[in-house]
Amino acid sequence: MTFNLPPGLALQKVDERIMTLNVGPQHPGSGHMRIIVQIDGDYIVACDPDPGYVHRGEEKMAEYRNYITNIPHLERPVIHDSCNILYPYVLGAEEILGIEVPERAKYVRVIASELNRCIYIMYWLAIYGIFLGHSTMFMWPAGDRELLIDLMEKMTGARVTHAHFVPGGVRNDLPPNFEDVCLRQVNYFEKRIKEYAAVFYDNPILISRTRDTGILSRQDAIRYGTTGSVLRASGVDYDLRVKEPYDVYDELDVHTNVLKEGDSYARSKIPWLDMMESCNIIRQALQKMPKSGSVRVKLKPNPKGKGLNSVYKRVESGRGSLGCYIVSDGKTEPYRVKLSVPSFRNLIALPNLLRGEKLGNMPSVYWSLNYWPVEADR
Amino acid sequence: MGTATGIIRALNSGIKHLAVKRFTLRYPEEKLKFVGDGYQFDPSTGVGIAGLKGRHMLFHDHCTGCQLCSIACEGVAEAIAMVKVPEEQKQNKKSIMPQIDYGKCVFCGLCVDACPFYALYMTNDYELSSFSKEGLIYTPAQLQVKPYVAQDSEIQISDRGATHG
Repeated sequence: MTFNLPPGLALQKVDERIMTLNVGPQHPGSGHMRIIVQIDGDYIVACDPDPGYVHRGEEKMAEYRNYITNIPHLERPVIHDSCNILYPYVLGAEEILGIEVPERAKYVRVIASELNRCIYIMYWLAIYGIFLGHSTMFMWPAGDRELLIDLMEKMTGARVTHAHFVPGGVRNDLPPNFEDVCLRQVNYFEKRIKEYAAVFYDNPILISRTRDTGILSRQDAIRYGTTGSVLRASGVDYDLRVKEPYDVYDELDVHTNVLKEGDSYARSKIPWLDMMESCNIIRQALQKMPKSGSVRVKLKPNPKGKGLNSVYKRVESGRGSLGCYIVSDGKTEPYRVKLSVPSFRNLIALPNLLRGEKLGNMPSVYWSLNYWPVEADR
Repeated sequence: MGTATGIIRALNSGIKHLAVKRFTLRYPEEKLKFVGDGYQFDPSTGVGIAGLKGRHMLFHDHCTGCQLCSIACEGVAEAIAMVKVPEEQKQNKKSIMPQIDYGKCVFCGLCVDACPFYALYMTNDYELSSFSKEGLIYTPAQLQVKPYVAQDSEIQISDRGATHG
């Protein structure tokens, strides 16, 4: 008996030993995505990640809104890293609209971006902890995150979706006495995250669970095009804040954390080291920031791009390099906005990492890739 | 480091936290303190004033019915509709004023940035729940009322840890 199958579909032979398991999309351990895993007993034979369940057409929506009203919806893919996902769009829109940003606004943006990076990583770390069954590591980051959310609330007026960056600077100036409050809370935050070492990162139970699982070699990490913490955990010294400094990062002293192992443990440790680096950057920025001055250039109500023009800007977000490509045809709306997101690029490494692993290690290896489903689908 | 010492260190770190103060905010009894009176915008300089982006407040004597807030909201949430106000509340020639549907509003504050007449601000009021959809639609008369917001606790940091004092 023969079937005429539509293109793209294929019949699969059912093996006696191999079982196909769908993890997700309604599974709490996968997020809004499905991982199709084929297992032989307890060992993973093949794995096929299947993203796309939360695609909402952000790029198409951006073609129907002007440069300012694009801001609230473009930060929705990663609401707890919303300053960083807006950053490349705002930098690109400034170049297209021909705006020069005040010096103080650049420092305020760096502080907001670093605070937001910490907020994202704490959320990520909380879920990484609970995936490994370590409920203390779920409670502590979720609580300590509040210190920084409180700062962002004072700074921008919103707890998660800030809508703080605009082409031409930031929406509002810092509140009075913010520098002192920020310094105090960031110093305490740094002291707190150093305590995580004894409970989590030096814990022999965690090390035995995550050491030598899901190893990504240096060559593979470069070949797959992974970015951010995944790339740095595989021994590649690459951070856009150092290699392609934007705004005022060239005036600040940024140290890149690199580990050579490339396993799940190294990938989970890099974001934690990054948070301490973020605290350093915030302290430097608070010191070097001009104490007064404008933070926003006054724009016309509906700014227009200058002729046919295109620009590509990228920044280092909490997950890796995040790019934004904007094409303008001289109207008030952009002709095309393309987001190049780190989550999607890191996901490509997943099938290779899981082959030969035990099924119980799947959640920790998957989440160590610093993957956020909504951002990948955008 | 051996396995045993590692586990003892982890347990020890947890035991130390018995002496640390509780960080949790007991929400309905205690409420957070905010900076300022909510997000405001100064059209002459083009820069906002920091504050919480909560429920709006409309100053009837400043509103001219120009619809700029409604136009600013078009691409974002379409939460603002311009409605006729009754004769006794009439302040401007067009006698239309914004009515805000908080079922749609995303609290981005772009409407406040769009207002050139100092008429629309945001306040610290964030408790907007309602039993019906209609209860979330705030008419110009409701937006005129300045809300009372309890603010009594702030993050305090001491040697024994951070707490909402």
